[in-house]
This record gives sequence, structure tokens and C-alpha cells, in this order.
Amino acid sequence: MSASPTKSIDVRGLYCPEPVFRTKMEIERLKIGDTLKVVADDPESEEDISRWVSRNGHELVSLNKTDKDLEFVIKKAK
Amino acid sequence: MERIGHTPLVELKSFSTKNVRYFAKLEWHNPFGSVKDRAAYWMIKDAERRGILKKGKSIIIEPTSGNTGIALTGIATSLGYRVEIVIPEKVSDETKNILRHLGATLHETSDDLCPRVGAGTDQSIALAKAISKPRPDIYYMPNQYENDANFLAHYESTGPEIWEQTDGAVTHFVTGCGTGGTITGTAKYLKEKNRNVHVIAVQAQKNHLLQGLRNFEESLMPELFKRRENVVDEWMTATNKDSFDSVKQLAEKENMLVGPSSGSVMTSMLKKGETLESGVVVGIFADDGRKFRSLYVKEGVMSEQEYDSALSNAKHMSQLAYSL
Repeated sequence: MSASPTKSIDVRGLYCPEPVFRTKMEIERLKIGDTLKVVADDPESEEDISRWVSRNGHELVSLNKTDKDLEFVIKKAK
Repeated sequence: MERIGHTPLVELKSFSTKNVRYFAKLEWHNPFGSVKDRAAYWMIKDAERRGILKKGKSIIIEPTSGNTGIALTGIATSLGYRVEIVIPEKVSDETKNILRHLGATLHETSDDLCPRVGAGTDQSIALAKAISKPRPDIYYMPNQYENDANFLAHYESTGPEIWEQTDGAVTHFVTGCGTGGTITGTAKYLKEKNRNVHVIAVQAQKNHLLQGLRNFEESLMPELFKRRENVVDEWMTATNKDSFDSVKQLAEKENMLVGPSSGSVMTSMLKKGETLESGVVVGIFADDGRKFRSLYVKEGVMSEQEYDSALSNAKHMSQLAYSL
């Protein structure tokens, strides 16, 4: 059973690269070990956010796809 | 606002020879310290004329490597608008501090936000568009990379000034290129007066430190520039090293403390001048060295003492409309 994320943001309706930008801003504000939930709807976000997370050394804990949305849970690793 | 433009044209006497004379147009004499005051003012006035900006409501958002942000923030806040500036992380700390001090909210971009656009300010442009597009009732993006008011600012002010200041004798015009506003506007005017004026466009090397310039392989050529690219007669590429060497030379020989892109222009002016039998070579010095202490020290252009000494000995400094 996973704990609630430390913070959640909703980036639906936003255009690239604002979803990645908002993700980055929130991760920068968190402490190491904290988790961020990001809800997106732009299909390109799947690759963009995942790539940003791995490039910057964080952990993609989970990625859930519903009909319309993508839900990422990211753990700040450094 | 009456202080915008009408900047001095100064001969670089330690470089001029009997037959080839070098002149620099000192754009840091604009109120907010750079050539961008012209474009910023023209773009804001154009938006006001078209009824797009509403005082107390509109937020002006713009992607910029620094000087446009400073100019837009300074001019727009004095006219009653809020300003958000989207800027690459790697821009100098001094520039960011000035922007915050003048009242802008900053959004800093890294090169890895969007894999489908280029580096540096291309990321900032993408983010500024993304923020403003779904919120058009609040945000206005002047978009210096596409806005013809940027070109017009130079067609209507910089070009005529150079023509008058050289009594029509200018033979070669050299400027750095970022948005392409300065080169297309100024060159169009000069060539209308004398179609033989030779126009040299200076781009930066790839992965450069020359704030304000672009390399047109790693970054897109802006729409504004593409529209009138045919004004360019010759392209030159300035390296970090050559540009910084010229910054040092200008400090030592002319007692001028200039910004990196002015060093790029100086290098290019000299390279061209060496091939000429005669000429009146005019270059745009877009900003001075006051924002670049940390950069110059870090890159080994000058030590801290050399910089401080160059600053206190600098001639042709101007009174800025803000304090650093």
C-alpha cells in the first residue's frame, strides 16, 4: 500500500513544455525522498516527463494511464 | 522614454588606420542599458496602439536571454504593466538580479524541458508560448522573435542614426544576431540609402557564452530574421575566445568595458577591415560589461582586480535608469 504523495500537481490542459517545467519546479522544492504526483493529459508528456525524470536522476515510482489521463508518481532521489 | 535611441557613435581610434576607420555605436547609452530598449519600446507601443494591453490587468510575458527582459521590464512596469520573463538558467546572475530588482517574475528554463526544440532560448520561447497560449485574456507575449515592431524599431531609429552620424559615409555595417531585429531593420534602411553598404551578420559559435547572440545551427533562425535574411551580405562566426580577447583589447586600448557580444562584433569588424583597402566600418556594441563581472572572472578574461580597474577607468559609460 503506497503512502499519499507529498505533493500533487495537475498539468492537464497545459502545453509542452509547461508540464515538464511545472514538474521540475515542484521537484526542486521537495526534499530528497519526497514524492510528487503529476496528472497530465498531453500524450507527449508520457515521454517528456519520464525522460526528464530519468535524466535528472529521480525515480519514476509509477505511471498509470487512464482513458484520458496520465498519472505519474515521482520520487526525488537527489 | 525620450532617452531611448540617439546613442553615441564613437571612433575606435586605436584600431582605425588611415584608410579603414572603425566606429562603434554604444547602445548601452539607452536607459535600461542595451540596444533592446528600442525593440521593447516599439513592441509595447505597438500593442497599446492595437488595444491589446490593459493597464493593471495585462501581464507581459517574454522569452529572453536578458537584455530584452531588462528593457521590457523597465519600460513596461513604468507604464503600469506586470512582467514575467522566461530565461535560460545559464544567463548571468547579474542579469537575473537586475530583472528581479526591476520587478519581473522569472521562469528559468533548462535545455532538457522539451526534446522537440533546440537549446537555450528556444526552450524559453517554447515555455513562454505554452504559458500564454491558454490564457490570452491575461497574458501578452510581444515575441521579439516574430514581432515586426522589433524590426521597425531599427528601421526607424538605428538605421537613420547611423546614416546621419556617418554623414552617409558608412561602407560596412556589422552586428551580432539574435532575433535578427537589429540587422534586418538597420540594414534595410542603410541599403535604401546606399545599396552598396556591405552588411555582415555575426553569429555565435555553438555552445557559446555570448549572451544575446545565437548559433543558427543549434538554434532556430527566428521568423523575424527569415523574413528579410537577404539583407545579409556576409556571415561570420565569433568564438568565445576571440570575443573575450576583443573584450580585453577594448578595455586595454580604448578604455571601454563592453559586453561579450560587443567583443564578437569587434573581432568581426577587424577581420573584415584587414581585407579592405578603405572603409568606414560601423559595429553595434549592444551592451557594456557591467553585467558580466562573474562571467569574465570565471572564464579568465580578467581577474577581479583587472575587471574592477577596467570599470573604474572606463570611458563612455552611461547613466542607467536603474541602479545595479
